Amino acid sequence: MQINNSLSPEKKTFASRIRNSFAQLPLLAWLCGVLGAVLLERYLGDPLTELLGLPKIPALFGAVTILKKPQLIPGTVAFLFLIYAVPILVIPRLFGSILNRLVGRLFHLSPAMSVAIHLGLLYLILSLWADVSGYRLLTLKLTLIAIIVTLSLNVINGYMGEFSCSHPGFLALGAYTASVFTLFFFVDDKVFGAAFLPKFLGPFLFPIALILGGIVAAIGAIAIAIPSFRTRGDYLAIISLAFMFIVKSIIENLEFVRGPRGLSSQPNYVDLPTVFIWTVAAVWIINNFVRSTTGKALNAVRDDEMAADAMTVNTRRTKIVAFLFAAFWAGVAGGLFAHVLRYVNPGTFSIQKLAEVLAMVYFGGLNSVYGSIVGAVSLSLLGEALRPLEIFKWIIIPLLLILVMIFRPTGLIAFKDFDVMKLISPKEKS
Amino acid sequence: MKKSWVLIVSCLVIGLVFSPSAWCKSKTIKIGINAPMTGDIPKVGEGTKFAAQMWLEDVKKAGGLKVGDKTYKVELVIEDNESKAESAVKAATKMIVEDEVLAIVGPQASKQAVPAGAVCNSYRTPMISPWSTNPDTTKGRPFVFRGCFLDPFQGPVLANFITQEFHFSKAAVLYDVASDYPKGLAEFFKEAWEKLHGTGSVVAYESFTTKDTDFSSQLTKIIRSGAEVLFTPQYYNEVALIVQQAHELGWNKPIVGSDSWGSAETVALCGKDCYGLFFSTHYAAAGATGATKTFIDRYKEKYGYVPDDVGALTWDSMRIVQRAIENCGNITGKIEKDRQCVRDALAKIKAFDGITGKMTFTEEGDPLKCAVVVRISDKGEFEFYKSVCP
Repeated sequence: MQINNSLSPEKKTFASRIRNSFAQLPLLAWLCGVLGAVLLERYLGDPLTELLGLPKIPALFGAVTILKKPQLIPGTVAFLFLIYAVPILVIPRLFGSILNRLVGRLFHLSPAMSVAIHLGLLYLILSLWADVSGYRLLTLKLTLIAIIVTLSLNVINGYMGEFSCSHPGFLALGAYTASVFTLFFFVDDKVFGAAFLPKFLGPFLFPIALILGGIVAAIGAIAIAIPSFRTRGDYLAIISLAFMFIVKSIIENLEFVRGPRGLSSQPNYVDLPTVFIWTVAAVWIINNFVRSTTGKALNAVRDDEMAADAMTVNTRRTKIVAFLFAAFWAGVAGGLFAHVLRYVNPGTFSIQKLAEVLAMVYFGGLNSVYGSIVGAVSLSLLGEALRPLEIFKWIIIPLLLILVMIFRPTGLIAFKDFDVMKLISPKEKS
Repeated sequence: MKKSWVLIVSCLVIGLVFSPSAWCKSKTIKIGINAPMTGDIPKVGEGTKFAAQMWLEDVKKAGGLKVGDKTYKVELVIEDNESKAESAVKAATKMIVEDEVLAIVGPQASKQAVPAGAVCNSYRTPMISPWSTNPDTTKGRPFVFRGCFLDPFQGPVLANFITQEFHFSKAAVLYDVASDYPKGLAEFFKEAWEKLHGTGSVVAYESFTTKDTDFSSQLTKIIRSGAEVLFTPQYYNEVALIVQQAHELGWNKPIVGSDSWGSAETVALCGKDCYGLFFSTHYAAAGATGATKTFIDRYKEKYGYVPDDVGALTWDSMRIVQRAIENCGNITGKIEKDRQCVRDALAKIKAFDGITGKMTFTEEGDPLKCAVVVRISDKGEFEFYKSVCP
């Protein structure tokens, strides 16, 4: 036909055909594809690296190897292509329609079970992926924690539309509370003396430590919320910034948590399932919160406080609830963070941490759960992958942020609803 | 479809052709360097890197590291810990798991060395921190060592030195309450001083917070307290401010510092105000002899400035690791076994003759070594004044 003389329309239809065929695939198909990739890496990864002359399975998609040893680029690219790209593209194509029907039946049977299966598959993928090396595991844990932090800050900065700088302070409160709890009850150390309770109880009572951390952070948030929510504008930014420094100074001067020297030797309670469950819980609860009436009221307050007030929204209560809610999750994330690193010092929770979290929120996208996840994951992985560049890393990442701010001022995926039911439902044939 | 197949095949062919052959993997020993290349203290990271690279040069010149009757190539894996605890942990994990290093030198500052030490200990990989003075770094961690003396040793050294040298009995302390090193040392100094002169002999114990630049209220209090000497265990940027402001306020008595003064920047920032002051440190650059002098001269020629204590301590740590690998005697290629072997050899090192003094490791992995008291000469050089041994 007219293939030769009209190349561009043909190309367009080809591209859109591909897009269409992939758009019809349900989430389950993609998860199966990634699972295939991860399984392939697990069983064929080692022989393939040997064949390609790579020293080891590339930990973070080869970025670290590539930057340190450019001669390994072809091998790494080939590895990534064979292990990741091929199964992720082929498996969904092959089994897409079968899986689509399966998803449909499952969805009609019980949406809850369908969600559970998706989550189980996701966990399986993550644990298999992280099982390859301890470095991946650590990066993954810290990335999941970053998701909780980013999401909780997005509640304030995105959904509520205020600018809060106090998140490192909440993280610190949560981290220290949870650390003191576990160190006091379950560890024989020289700061708090012998363990108070039998050690085998530790992992079971650990959620209490995290929740306590969250509650303490929320109590701290009251100190900001009460004075600053009487007004609107930049006051919250200033008060919350002050709060961050106050928390840091207080901890530095508290001798019973060893001041600037920090607390170390927290018990090793935070394994991958723990972080995963808490992250899923955080995403689920925060998503429900922002989609609830309070969440909608929060958006109304952001867009026009006077109008919201006129429409019978109790603006002050809404703002305070959202603020304490966000602080709670930041505190939980802080507790997890302290037990992953197994060390906390006040210096960690300063302006640098704030910049990191804010960057994740604004990079990913305001007012969006997707955005927070994308922002947290991409900046965490990018920060880790570019570390061999040393000083240039601190040029590239801010540059990326500037570009995002120019071309998408509200972030990559902003103002998008995270609808779990829509996500897991079968795709319609177009 | 055809196009994509061509792409795939060419990708694979290129991948196979250009990748170094897997069949000629040479035996190399990898040493990890966990250094703050960016962040708060990049100068420390630079000193660490330079000293480590000089060491590598020496090893390469010798054709590799001789263990038993085999010679192994040596490779350095330098990771940036961004001067953050979090990144130090990630860097240590990465080097242990991904690069399979035999031993790690660094991190330098205690806030990174404490958590990184926990990682190294749990992965059973020997780590030696050249510069960390916090007791927690090595405490209860058989795989973690350090290359410098601890604050509980340095505090009494200074208290004794001041007492013997000047016969003073009233001291003042000015320190940063928000930074772990100055705070710890200030406490140890106070304890030692009060042991010598009775409670209340530290007549002023003043603090400030990191990044403060005006110390006049604290200094006025110190001057009014009737103290005869001021002890301030601060870093170079604060030292300059404190000394200059003290002199402006009329303080003309001695000011004594600790090993954190031992940077070339101290004199550059402080100028004449610092001439004639004393501080304790790991080694004295001016008037050094023997191996120390050779090291300083080489470093200066190569990088253009006199190495500060971080460089010297890193150099010693690298050589201690080298000695331990040599003493181990047998590298099997099984990394877990070799790490254990290197650790055991490290713990057995006796009277190692380093450029910062002779050292022997205690059971905790801390070295017993001498401190040097240095006087800043009228030319701004760090002159050897006295050596104090435990």
